[in-house]
Order: sequence, then structure tokens, then C-alpha cells
Amino acid sequence: MLDKMLYNTVLCQTYSPCGKYLIAGNIYGHIAVFDLDAILHPVIELLTPDYNKPKHLHLLENKTQICSLATTDNFLIVGTVNEISGWDWKAVVQSKLSKPAWTIKISNQLKIDETDVNSLWFNKEENKIYAGCGDNKVYVYNLEDGRRLNTFDGHKDFIHSIHGRGKQLISAGEDGLVMLWDTRMGKSHNKLEPHKKANISRPEIGKWIGSVALDEDWIVCGGGPRLALWHQRSLDAVMVFDIPDRGIHVSFFHEDCIVAGGAAKHLYQLSYSGEVKVELPVSATTVYSAELRTSPNKLLAIAGSSPEIDICTSFKYRDQVLHFR
Amino acid sequence: MGKEDTSAKKRRKLNNSSSEISKQPPVDVYKRVVEFEESEAQSRSAEKDAILFKKFCQDVRQLFADIAELKAKGTNESKEKINAKRVEASLLLVALKKLNRLEKVRTRAGRDALNKEKQRVDSTHLLLQNLLYEADHLNKEVTKCLQFKSKDEEIELVPLEDFYKEAPKDISRPEITKNDEHQLQLARLEWELRQRRELAGACNELVSSKERVSAAIAAARSRLVALAPHLRDVLKATKPLQECLALRLDEKRDETRAASLLPPPLFLLYANGSAYSDVLGAAHVTVGISGDEDEARRLDQLNTSIENDILVSNDSDSDQDNIDDDQAEKKKRYHRTTKISKEEKAEAKKKQVLQKHPLNVQISVKIEDGTALNLIFFYLVNLKIVVVKFIMSFPRPITGVSAADVLNSDSILNELYPGDNGNDSPHPATTYLLNAAGVTDHFQNFIPEVGRPYIWAQRMCGLDFMAIILDDPKQYKPIVPSQSLSVVTVENFIFTIKKRLEARVELMKELQDLESGKILPIKNNTPIRLSATLTQWQSVGWPEYSQSPSTAFLIAEGLVTAENMLYRAIVTRQSAKLVALVALSSDYPKKAPLFSLTLDWNGTHHAGVNDDVRDIERLINTNWDTNDSGPQTLSAQMTKLLTSIDILLETSGSVEFPPDKVMLKQVRGRNRMKPYKILKQGPGLFVQY
Repeated sequence: MLDKMLYNTVLCQTYSPCGKYLIAGNIYGHIAVFDLDAILHPVIELLTPDYNKPKHLHLLENKTQICSLATTDNFLIVGTVNEISGWDWKAVVQSKLSKPAWTIKISNQLKIDETDVNSLWFNKEENKIYAGCGDNKVYVYNLEDGRRLNTFDGHKDFIHSIHGRGKQLISAGEDGLVMLWDTRMGKSHNKLEPHKKANISRPEIGKWIGSVALDEDWIVCGGGPRLALWHQRSLDAVMVFDIPDRGIHVSFFHEDCIVAGGAAKHLYQLSYSGEVKVELPVSATTVYSAELRTSPNKLLAIAGSSPEIDICTSFKYRDQVLHFR
Repeated sequence: MGKEDTSAKKRRKLNNSSSEISKQPPVDVYKRVVEFEESEAQSRSAEKDAILFKKFCQDVRQLFADIAELKAKGTNESKEKINAKRVEASLLLVALKKLNRLEKVRTRAGRDALNKEKQRVDSTHLLLQNLLYEADHLNKEVTKCLQFKSKDEEIELVPLEDFYKEAPKDISRPEITKNDEHQLQLARLEWELRQRRELAGACNELVSSKERVSAAIAAARSRLVALAPHLRDVLKATKPLQECLALRLDEKRDETRAASLLPPPLFLLYANGSAYSDVLGAAHVTVGISGDEDEARRLDQLNTSIENDILVSNDSDSDQDNIDDDQAEKKKRYHRTTKISKEEKAEAKKKQVLQKHPLNVQISVKIEDGTALNLIFFYLVNLKIVVVKFIMSFPRPITGVSAADVLNSDSILNELYPGDNGNDSPHPATTYLLNAAGVTDHFQNFIPEVGRPYIWAQRMCGLDFMAIILDDPKQYKPIVPSQSLSVVTVENFIFTIKKRLEARVELMKELQDLESGKILPIKNNTPIRLSATLTQWQSVGWPEYSQSPSTAFLIAEGLVTAENMLYRAIVTRQSAKLVALVALSSDYPKKAPLFSLTLDWNGTHHAGVNDDVRDIERLINTNWDTNDSGPQTLSAQMTKLLTSIDILLETSGSVEFPPDKVMLKQVRGRNRMKPYKILKQGPGLFVQY
């Protein structure tokens, strides 16, 4: 029997607030902590063969898959199955992971039915965490006391991705819906159904929407249907991107560009006009997570169904490959 | 006046002499004259005679002067006077003569006296010398005596305390010996002598008793020798009985005799192997020896006689070879015709270096269904390693092409122990020995010819080359087969090979079934209705396997090599076709088979481009879905594969494949995982995690 880590799948990544660490979580319940300083600025004399392996590899107690990760100034927030946990950053970078600082249980009616916390979005101003879950709902929790503040109910299948901007929240689900929510009201005021548009839908892949992101005026989303740029107010698909993918799982805005990836050999950077600016080759069969940051340095970490995580410092080409095994 | 004086004297002399003569009888005149002259010379003083002589000389001279003067006058008177004077002068001359004679006598007498005195002195001196020499000699004798070492000092004596304790009083006599060292020494010597005498007596007694015993032994031996023909007769007589009772006593005896001719490593193997054969019974393990016994006997004798020579002359031999080679090279430049003979020479050299011992050991391991593996162990005399060949025997013919390969190919002995494929000699000196013999090829090239030098085979024969590598490599020492190593390894090996054989037979059955499209149901598992079917199972070669894009990952990770047994399974369900390339390790079922999948449906998918296929591979190739880490059988994995492909197709939403399995969720999570895992609840519930 082979080591299951050879078939590792990384679903989520995040950076520590200090910028020194990259955190990645996989379907086996491992949290890998990579020391970015050592990887990006290696001291040649101290270089060991496993320098590109995790500095620490934590196995969560219940060994469930790690579906999502989010970062606040104080905590690493981990969304697993049926619960969201927060760890003190200091505890995360220690070699042995202690108990979480806090845990929020997501109530579910059926015992056998488990609820994945597929997507987390942290609102810094409000100090609230939004969780898009496997039970078709988006929950809002107050990080001060862990109370549930609101529940956004409207999707008919599990939620793949959520993203927010100011008072707006957007969610995308397996049911093929993209819903816009007003966070103050807790109500959906608009929705998109990309699979119903002939030039976007791809029925052989499915109607699910794997990823969605909000800009001031724009929405980008994709999944089974093609990746498309939508105008927020008119809800029109302004641009349908023609890229050779078998499903989109990652899409977000970055400096007049759209970064998108999924079941494809590359991670794409596209202009609003549909032009492919950069094609980044990736190790993963399917990309489930691409985390980009600009401070303290430019860094893009791409992970997915592979034990390898690709690191780009220029966003233009693959610099290094980390091994999550 | 002088003249008168002298004449007077003369007279007196004459008187004296005449008187003497007259007085003594004239016996010997001459003697008497001599005596007289001598005494006269003695009595007269030499000084006075000298003065007298001078005076006479003066007188003569005066006379001559007077004569001369007278002659000058020439007168008669003068003539007379001359005559008178002439007479006077003559007398004076006579007196002179007498004086001269006296002086002569006196001189002689003096000389004689001197000689006499000299002689006396000489003899005295001689005496002195003799005495000195004698004294010296005596001194030497004295020192010699002082330095004399007595024999008794060399004798080791009993220590003083013991002497006083043990010796009887009449010898030790303490009252005397305590004070007198010499007596003490004598006493001790005496005690020593007495003791030694006693011991010598004891020794003689023992020698005689030993002779008696040896005579008894010789007698017994001769009796035994006489017994041998009788025993042979008895043996001959029992032969019919043996045949009647089907006892293998004679064969056993023959084998034991052959065993004594085996080289030490093979002998160890034979001894331990037959021990296990006795314990486990001939139905499981049999051990035999075959080969040319006479040849072996000859080799044995040859070896014992030249063994020592070889060790000494080894180096010089190889040098000689090198020189020969060089010369051959030189010759070759001039005569190209020698080429053919050189090839023949190389062939002969190769044969020589790869020479096998004429005897070999055969171990046959049998398992319950009758399948047997005959292992033939050869010992390469010059390379000092053991090589193995094998023959399989089956109770019934095997159907199926790939199934037969499983039991016949070399792979059955591969990886019995990790990393041991028998592809190169385990002896570090092999390359050197080959080079020294002038063979340039690597040992690997001879493996098909001679057999495979598995490490377990060396260890079964008690040869452990690792130990040499760990030692100082410069310090060459011959490898001594280790008894304990062989014992441990033979036991281990027999069980390992039995397990392997059983596993292979099991695998063969599985493969036979798979080739005919059957998949064995797995015990204690709820049967699931499978819609996909196995339509083809056949073995494939490395080129085809390695060219498929689906296997790139496993090859890159080094998990599958050309050593593996490779198969292709084709699973179909309606329009979907799944090609699974299966790599079986030699160590199956300890190492599970590895599957690489390619799905042909709506395009071609493999794990490198499609997560669903990758998820299925994860499920089959790792023990992610089960908690037990036990081995997975091929059938179990095939069942998993068929189930998974059903799930994949049924969750695709295509109308071609209506879902008929109970799934909690068709897809789950951001990775849209399909429920490949089965929960044992009711008819089987499929979940993702």
C-alpha cells in the first residue's frame, strides 16, 4: 500500500499575519506550516534536503478534512467538518499543536449528515467570520463571543465559495446559483444563474459554481459553467473567458486582473477584456487554492490535488515547489 | 846494569825452571810449560811488565844507535863491541818476546774468565724466567679454580621453606645445615636427587602402562577391521528386506558420502536443509545432492594438495597473466592472425573462472496443492559464490498466459528479501577476480548462464559478504562459512519461500480467474451489485506500461520499475472504458499491486488531469479508506475498482448510468468528491470520507 500522502489534496491555504508562514490544510486533516523565510531566503550552508517540506505538520484530533482556512490578527481559523476552530498563532507555529483556543460547533439536524465549512471570509471591520457551509447555508459569527449572528438561507445545495466586500457578500454553490447578500439585512437581493446562459454553460462538467469574487463593480465566477465577468448592477455577463479548463475552483481579482484556476494545467491571469496575460504551469491536477499577497513581499502559493505546492514571487513563473508530504 | 839485571833474572828463571823440571817427572812437558807460563803470567803484574817492556825497547833502540855509531868508526875494537852489543840486543829481544808471550797468556786468561762469568749470568737469567712463567701459570690456575661453576647451580631446587617442611630430618639435618651453607646445599641436592629418582620411577611405570593400553587399542582395532567385511555381508543380506519395507537407508548413506565431498558452503546448506527436511517431513521440503561424484573426489584431492600453494602464488600468477597479455598484445600488432585463438583463449578463461563445483545441492519446497519449487544451488569454485537455478513443477497444467508467467518467470525468487534481485554478485571481490582471470565482461552478463547469485543463497550457505566489507578491505582473509548464519537463514528462507509459493499459487488462481473475467468475491463483505465488467486481463511489457501517461507518476516516484510484473485490465460499462495498468511487485501480497487508471469516456482522463480518477487511484493504491494496514489482494482491489468506476459513472449525472447505489451525497466538498468509500450499513452506504 502506498503512502496516502502521495495522493494528497490541499483544499485551502493562508498566510500568517506576520507573513513568515504559509499554512495549508489537506483532506486528511493535516495542517502544514511552511517557514517562508527559510524557503525564500535559504542560507546555503544550512540547507537540508527537506527545506521545502513543512516545518511543522499537525494532525487535527478528529482527522476530518480541512475545508477552509482564514487569518485574523490573533487567530488561525480552521474550517473543518461540523466546526470552526481558532488557534492562537503562537500555538500554530509550535512543533506540537495544542487544543484550539476556541471552537464553534455548527448545529446540524442529522447525525450522519456532516457539514463541511467549505469557505470562510473574515470581515475585519466588523470582526465577524462568514462561513459558507455544506448544509447550503452561510453562517455569520461574532468573533468576540462566538455567537451566531445570522444565517443566510437560500442555496439549494452545498456552498462552494463565499466572498465579501464592504456590506456585500456573495456566495456560490453546487446548485449553480450565485447569490448576492446584504450583510446588514441578511437577505439575498440578487442572484445569477450562469448555467442558464448558453454561451457560459458546460453541461458535461456541471452547473456548479466553484468560485466567486466581488470587486467594486464586478463579479467573477466560474465552475462547471465557464469563467465569466459579470457587471454587478446590470447582472450581465460582460466577458466570457475562453480558457481550456475542466472546471473552475479558484477566481479572484488582483490589480485589474482576474486570477483563475481549477481543473487545468495552468493558473491564468486574465485582463477584463479576456486577454490571457500569464499562464502559470501548476503541479496540481486541480487547483483548489491560490493565495496571493503583496505585503511584506509578493507571493502566490498554488495548491490543489497534489502533494506539491507551487510558489511564485513574481506571479509570472513558478519559482519553487514545496512538498506537503 | 839493566842487562845484568835481566840476565840475572834469566838465570834465576832458568834455574827455577830447571829445578822444577828436575823435581817433577817429565810427564807432559808442553802441558807443564803451559801451566807454568800461566801461573807466571798470573803472578806477575801486568803494569810492571809493561814498564819493563818499554825499558827493554828503549835499551834495544840505544843498542842499535851504539852499533850504528860503532859501525861508522869501523875499527876492530868497534867490531868486537858491535858483537857484544849484538848479543846484548838479541837477549833483549828474547826478553821482549817473553814479555809479549806473557801478555798474550794473560789476555787469554782474562777472556776465559769473562766468558765463564757470562755463562753463569745467562743460566741464572734463564732460571729466573722459568720461575716467573711458573708463577704466572699457577696464578691462572688459581683464578680458574675460583671461577669454577658447579653443576648443581643449574639444578632448580625446591624452595628453602618447602625443603625444610618436606624433607625428612636425616636429610635436612637442620642443626648443621642452618649454619653451614655448603652443607645446606648438599642436603638440598640430596633431597632433589631422591625426589627425582622417585618421579623417574613413576614415569617409567606410566610409560609402560601406556604401552599396554596402546597394544590393547591396536588389538581392538584389528578386530574391528576384521569386522568390516562381516558387516558388509550383513548389509548385503538386508538389502532385500529394505526394498521390501521401502526404507531409503542406502540412498541416505550414499548421500551422506556425497555430502562429505561438497564444498563447505554447500555442505552447510545441505546439512541444515536436510535437518529441516527431517523436521518438516519430506512432503514439504526435500534435500538432495546431484552431480559427478568422481569428479568431485578428484577436485577434493587436488585442492587439499595445492591449497597452500595457491595462497602463496596467487599474486605472482596474476602478474604472470598480465605479462602474458602484454606480450600477446605486442604480438598482435605484428600478427593479426592470432585473433581467433585469442577469442578461444578468452572463452577458456571465462569457463575457468566460472567453474562450478561438480556437485550441487537441490532443495525442493512443496506446498499443499502439490506445486513444488526445485532450487538448485551451485558453488562457483573460483568466484567463491553460490548461484541458484530453479525448476517449477505443477500438479496440473496452468491455463492462462499471464498466470503461468507468475510461477515460471525469474520474478518468483525476486525480492524475497528487500532489494535482493540477484542481479549482481554480492561478493565484492568478484570484479577483481574476473579481471585477474582476464575476463573483461561484468558478472551480470554471465547470470543467464550460471544462475542468479541471490544474497539469501549466500546466507543460506553461511557466506556473509557484508562482514568483509565492514572489515578492513586491505586485509584479505578467506571467508569462512558461518554455521549460525546458515541455520538462521535456512529456516527463515524455507518459510519465506513457502509463503511466496503459496502467495504465487494464490495469485496464479486469481490471475486465471481474472483472465477469464471472473473476480473472486471478498469474504465478509456485503455483496454489491456491480454494473461494470472486467472484459480483458493480460500481461503487458515495460515499454507499453511506461509509455502510458497514467503511469508517469508512479515511475517518477520510483514505485514501479521494469522488475515488476505488469498487467493490463480493461473494465467496461456501456460506452465507458477504463484501462487499468497494474504493477505487481514480486513481493505480492506483502506489497499491494499498484493501479494506474485511464478512463475513456467523454475524453481521455487519467490521474494527472482528472481528480476523480485520482481519487479512485488513491482509494485502490493506499489504505486510506480502511483502518487495517493488512495486505490487499488483487481481487479485493479489482472489486474496489469496479465499485468505484460504477460510482463515478453514476454520479456523473448522465442518463446512460442511472444511480442504483445508496449514496448519502453524490458530491461533497469543494473538490466535489464522489462517495467511493463504503460504509457497512444495510446494503452498503457510499460516503466520501
